[in-house]
Amino acid sequence: MQDFLELAVSATASGCIYGLIALAYLLMIRPTGIINFAVGEWAMVSAFGGYVFLTKYEFPYPLGMAVVIAFMLLVGWVTERVAVRPLVEKGAPLLAPVLALLGVLVITREIISVSFPPDPLPVPFPFGFGRLEFGLVAGSYQSFFIIAVTVLVFVGAWFFFEKTLWGRSFEAVSLNRKAAALMGINLSRVTSLSFAGGAAMAGLGGLLVAPNVSAHYQMGVPLAIQGFTALVIGGVGRVEGALLGGLLLAFAEQFTTRYAPIASGYTQGVPLLLLMLFLLVRPTGLLRSK
Amino acid sequence: MKNTLRWLGVFVLLAGLPFLLGNYYNDVYRKMLLWVTLALGYNFLFGIGGQVSFSHFAFYGVGAYSIVIFLFQFHLPLPLAIVLGVALCVLVALAVAIPSTRLEGFYLALATLALAQLFVVVLNEGGAVTGGTGGLANYRLPDIFGVHITGPWYTAVIVFVLLMTLFILLKLDRSWFGRACRAVRDNPEAAAAMGINVARTKVIVFTLTSALAGVAGMAYAFVDNTVNPPIFGLENAFLILFMVIVGGSGRHAGAVIGAVLLFLLPFFLSPLVGHHHVLVFGLLVLGAILVAPKGLIGAVDFMKKKFS
Repeated sequence: MQDFLELAVSATASGCIYGLIALAYLLMIRPTGIINFAVGEWAMVSAFGGYVFLTKYEFPYPLGMAVVIAFMLLVGWVTERVAVRPLVEKGAPLLAPVLALLGVLVITREIISVSFPPDPLPVPFPFGFGRLEFGLVAGSYQSFFIIAVTVLVFVGAWFFFEKTLWGRSFEAVSLNRKAAALMGINLSRVTSLSFAGGAAMAGLGGLLVAPNVSAHYQMGVPLAIQGFTALVIGGVGRVEGALLGGLLLAFAEQFTTRYAPIASGYTQGVPLLLLMLFLLVRPTGLLRSK
Repeated sequence: MKNTLRWLGVFVLLAGLPFLLGNYYNDVYRKMLLWVTLALGYNFLFGIGGQVSFSHFAFYGVGAYSIVIFLFQFHLPLPLAIVLGVALCVLVALAVAIPSTRLEGFYLALATLALAQLFVVVLNEGGAVTGGTGGLANYRLPDIFGVHITGPWYTAVIVFVLLMTLFILLKLDRSWFGRACRAVRDNPEAAAAMGINVARTKVIVFTLTSALAGVAGMAYAFVDNTVNPPIFGLENAFLILFMVIVGGSGRHAGAVIGAVLLFLLPFFLSPLVGHHHVLVFGLLVLGAILVAPKGLIGAVDFMKKKFS
């Protein structure tokens, strides 16, 4: 039982990371329809940001985190300006920016692999390494930190989409671009914001997972796959779906590793299996859009 | 008759060339031909069929590994091993494509990304069957009718695979099916309205091109007489996509130009940038998409028009 609960806490923490990556996809996909495969690389960049500011220059954690997230906002904004906007303005088909972002993915990955040594680099835990116990429920400080931050982010995101004018304008754009533009919503501003926000969410995920897995230039692609799978499971229509999908995927992965008699590497097949299953059985995801 | 002669002429030309090249250049040459084969297939899937996939190189790997495993672990005869290898590619392709093409969007891209990632894991964890991280080696092509094919003669086999792939793709492209693919790429709703089964067209294109990649992989298995996991990683999956984009997607000639250029470029770039030529490729692709969406073949067309 204790073993089970311990596993549940760590699965919840991983699920939160997947949820954040899924949220990053969602932020960009809803107003623009563009699926940005580079989110995994953004998480990776942010993990390296954590290494630079927190390990190398030893910034205090809140300041280092703020600097990294601010940098990610900038990365997202610049990416949209360089690789997305010129194509959208030209009226290119949707595939064009998606491919341009694949180019960005490879460029990002190569820049990091050129600039840093090839071994995994350490990123510190914000509260050191330790265990927290609430009766039977126990886990590492980092697990609880991840869960707390993610809950805050999702509450914020829900509030943003449901209650603020800005969030509603995102909704309007995702429903009907032309009508939204006619209603006076600034499309290009919404797009900029969605990419900046997406990069920040992916960056937050990368920074939070970095202490557990260390910063490595190949960490991006698995995260991109897991985040997307979480999005498909939960459904693209609702913000909560991203978190729900992330949690489901993480539980499936961790319990397969723990209880199924297969080599641990094969758990990388779990996202693919779930993706296929959901596309076959419930392609709209668990949560329907309202 | 004239057409047959033309194909034969091209075959003799391409297969004759390696006899003039040394061992090293023969090796470079036949690897280039394999990339051209892959790029041609991928161009049909991506440029003509309009689907982004990252598993093309993984299927190349499935073909390479499966023929080696069927021949030397299960001791099957060569023709049966080839048939089973193709069947395996078809089965895997169908399993991925049928769920992923039910919805509009980039589900196939993500599913194939996951598949390509998983394939390398399976190779590494496969124990004695796949040879683990070291892969499989120390085998050689079985004699065919008592003849042992090596060196430039084996390059002729690869030329045959290349021309067979091109022949199949050209035939398809010029048929009803090729036009259906283009219609599905440009406007799925309109294609459906004209009576084209969009999902089925997508599944068929994906399965067919994946099987062709598998066949190319079988030819590759006897180039170095070794297969190992690092070759079949994601880097090369991106490289094929880049070849087609840079060359000009949707055009067979574009795929050939892109494959030749991006295959040869590292040989010239390595004194300048070392092993970081992928960064240059990334910049090339981004540049191509932003500035020249028709790729190099588009530039060739433009020059032709200007000077004719």
